[in-house]
Amino acid sequence: MAARDIRRGDAVRQIIAIALNTFRETVRDRVLTVIVLFALVMIVGGLWLGSISLEQQGRMMKDFGLVTVTAFGVIIAAFIAATLVRKEVEKRTVFVVFSKPVSRAAFVVGKFLGLAATLGVVIGGMGLFLFVMTWLVGGGASGMVLAATGLIYLQVLAVVAVVVFFSTVTSAILASMLGLGVFVAGQLSHNVLSLSRLGEGAVTEAVSWVVFVIIPNFNAVDVKAAVVGEMTIDWAAVALWGLYLMAYMVVALGAAAWVMRRKEF
Amino acid sequence: MRRLLLVLAVLVCLGAVVAFQVTRPERAASRPKVFVPSASFFEDFSPGFRTSIADAYYLYMVQYYGEHIKSDGRLDSMVDLVNLVTRLSPHFIKAYQFGTFAMLDARQTPAAYDLLQRGVVANPDDWRLPAMAGFLVYEFGRGEAKDEVAAEWYAKAAAVPGAPAYLARLAATLTAKGGEREKAALMWAQVYADGDEYSRAKAVAALDQILPAEKEARMRALAPLMGTMPGDEFERLVSALFEDFL
Repeated sequence: MAARDIRRGDAVRQIIAIALNTFRETVRDRVLTVIVLFALVMIVGGLWLGSISLEQQGRMMKDFGLVTVTAFGVIIAAFIAATLVRKEVEKRTVFVVFSKPVSRAAFVVGKFLGLAATLGVVIGGMGLFLFVMTWLVGGGASGMVLAATGLIYLQVLAVVAVVVFFSTVTSAILASMLGLGVFVAGQLSHNVLSLSRLGEGAVTEAVSWVVFVIIPNFNAVDVKAAVVGEMTIDWAAVALWGLYLMAYMVVALGAAAWVMRRKEF
Repeated sequence: MRRLLLVLAVLVCLGAVVAFQVTRPERAASRPKVFVPSASFFEDFSPGFRTSIADAYYLYMVQYYGEHIKSDGRLDSMVDLVNLVTRLSPHFIKAYQFGTFAMLDARQTPAAYDLLQRGVVANPDDWRLPAMAGFLVYEFGRGEAKDEVAAEWYAKAAAVPGAPAYLARLAATLTAKGGEREKAALMWAQVYADGDEYSRAKAVAALDQILPAEKEARMRALAPLMGTMPGDEFERLVSALFEDFL
């Protein structure tokens, strides 16, 4: 019992160490800085759009600002997450890591949490910037902007988990593309469900149903429309779907750890 | 030396780029009939981004209106654009307001009325749309019952919590007999008070036609409008209407 506790404590320490290292590594990435600066410029660009909107600056700033946060968050997630594990394998630094008593699961989870922390800083920063901008432009603080940013962060983390899994089975660029594909498909998840209900043959129905279950439902936690007053939010339902996305991440990371365990290093 | 040549080459290219852009022939005006996708397409395929798409089309709609109203006056796709924006974002009040005037300019009065009716159903807590419907019926409606129908719209607007007090007065004025010029001035003053730059320009032009041309008479005719809008708005309207006398 005591030995198991020691091992568990070791695993947590290993995850924290890998996560911290990944955080330092990714946060120093110059590409990330450029992307974030570009995103901030795009958010400020909302001011120009607002100026031609016939006194709708606040709405334009919120709407296009959140689209910018989503787009850049997903791009960063897809391209950086794809290299997280792959780079370690290609540079052979993974051999050094696995020469120590570090489990594959701890490695995958540590990498994920490290990037999650970086994305937390990046998306949180963009969200706060947007919040201040809408406050200045729209003439009032909108807590919904921060809530929507938090839910965008959750979607982006799910993309990271999926991309980490893909990066264990394929090349980095393909993993990025597949991750972006999953994000787009996650926006259309309800269409797949409609397809499964069309009843055009049992096979189509079954395949559509399987695809619907596999693809993460990002729409369910998307509250951008509510920020501009086009939707009322059922917070209890959003919270449940948020838990669903977290469970989805656990499954994706579990699959990635499983694939890593089967690899010879 | 090599470095200097490189810098020179870059500067020459920069000059060429700027010169090309500056001397480029002016872009031809866009076609009056443009492709407008159906709202259900966006509703089905990107529900999470529908308001962003609505906003993008709203900006395009404003640009399309500005471009054509000042050139060929053809607004063939205006109705489709306004309907697309308001179907994707049914609570976007500004889109209904701007869209109504744009449709009137496109000579699509029935479509403008349909739009406002749809807006009122989607936004029962907003007084601006029924008030606008009242204005539309009064100004562009036909038949003897038009004043009555317009008054009903104003009464409906006045019944919305938070609606300005002058709406009830407008409803009462409309049901009274006679004073057509005063009624019309009141309606347009209301358009000015609640409108954006486009509708304000229209209101000033319309009031300029309705009100007497002589300075003193115009002053007297304007006096009853003072209580129908905030003081600073009234002052702005007065200075716009007396521009020619200054």
